[in-house]
Amino acid sequence: MGGPGARRGAYHGALGSWQTSEAPRASEHEAARGEMTSPAETESLGDRAAAALVGYREGHAELMSEFVREATPMLWHTVRAQGVPREVADDVVQQTWAALVAHVESITEPQATLKWLLVTARRAAWEAVRKGRADDHRRTELPDDDADTAATLPDTAPGPEAEVLRDERDRMLWTALQQLPGRCQELLRLVSLADRPDYRSISAAIGMPVGSIGATRGRCLAKLRAVLTEQGETSWT
Amino acid sequence: MDMTDLDGVVGADDPLDASDVALLERVAELSGRVDPVPEGLVERSRFAMTLAGLESEVMELMVLEAPAGTVRSDAPPLETRTITFTHERLTVMIALSPGDEPRTVRVDGWLAPAETLTVVLRRPDGDHRTTADDDGRFVLENVPRGLASLLVEQDDLPITTPVIEL
Repeated sequence: MGGPGARRGAYHGALGSWQTSEAPRASEHEAARGEMTSPAETESLGDRAAAALVGYREGHAELMSEFVREATPMLWHTVRAQGVPREVADDVVQQTWAALVAHVESITEPQATLKWLLVTARRAAWEAVRKGRADDHRRTELPDDDADTAATLPDTAPGPEAEVLRDERDRMLWTALQQLPGRCQELLRLVSLADRPDYRSISAAIGMPVGSIGATRGRCLAKLRAVLTEQGETSWT
Repeated sequence: MDMTDLDGVVGADDPLDASDVALLERVAELSGRVDPVPEGLVERSRFAMTLAGLESEVMELMVLEAPAGTVRSDAPPLETRTITFTHERLTVMIALSPGDEPRTVRVDGWLAPAETLTVVLRRPDGDHRTTADDDGRFVLENVPRGLASLLVEQDDLPITTPVIEL
């Protein structure tokens, strides 16, 4: 895996290919470069989503390309949290990004881009789960169905958790996390993936009022710590 | 456990501090390890966006069946594999096998229901076109390996597959 810079360079051509007919005007280009070089700490993921959308509409795809790299993990875990198998989740994430292109002109408020993506990913995930159930149902109704071809979609992460969580403290934290309510787990994972939590986006994505996100995050974290302490892990408290 | 069980937990109203941030970082790191984002998903998403920019409206097929890992870039390179895409109106099955030339694949495809439709395999560097025969069969030979998506041209609405790794 190359660094972010290398990736941006390599894929600039692919993502920007439909806009090669018209070079961006110098002033716009300067503006885009200014956005890119501004320090990341001063803006949230939601701000970068807005800048990517605006830049994309104006005909340069660099910010969008970089934003796709940055936000794909958040979309991935949002989709997976709804119970979508890995292979299908791959499609759903792609579809969500493609839908952003299709709706690029209809998002009236650029600041709502991240929220739009998370909500779209979540709905598409539910739809995929619904379709998956319907397919399973159809399969079980076919008497001559080949057992080898049915249900070949893997449902879990590659490799048992024990293999990736060799460290005792890692296992403890993971086990503790699993003991929290589902929405708590989803909230903590989303918050942990945004370098500066964007509560407006996250609240819409998991259907929780904006005002309660901060408090809920605090409660989920405190609960996580309490579970860890019960297990004898004290270094977090 | 219910969300209401979280009421009255000690420390819940404290502002986010350094140890919270450290704990969240560990949560993110573990999520990434237990359920990693598939290799190449960012690249596939970018190409899917490029393709979405070319077509105003499409019908999306979803992967119905694929051996584990076959749509990802870490797929075994030279094995024959079959992927089925489906939608209410059309099912596309493709069998991939090594092409005659190095680093290419042969794509044997079937459309169901069978129809003589134009099939376009779209790659970052260009398209490969062919037409399905009366039985709905089509063949694309010596397609360079890499990102690709199939588009089936229909009267009203083109049908596309997700971006996969050939």
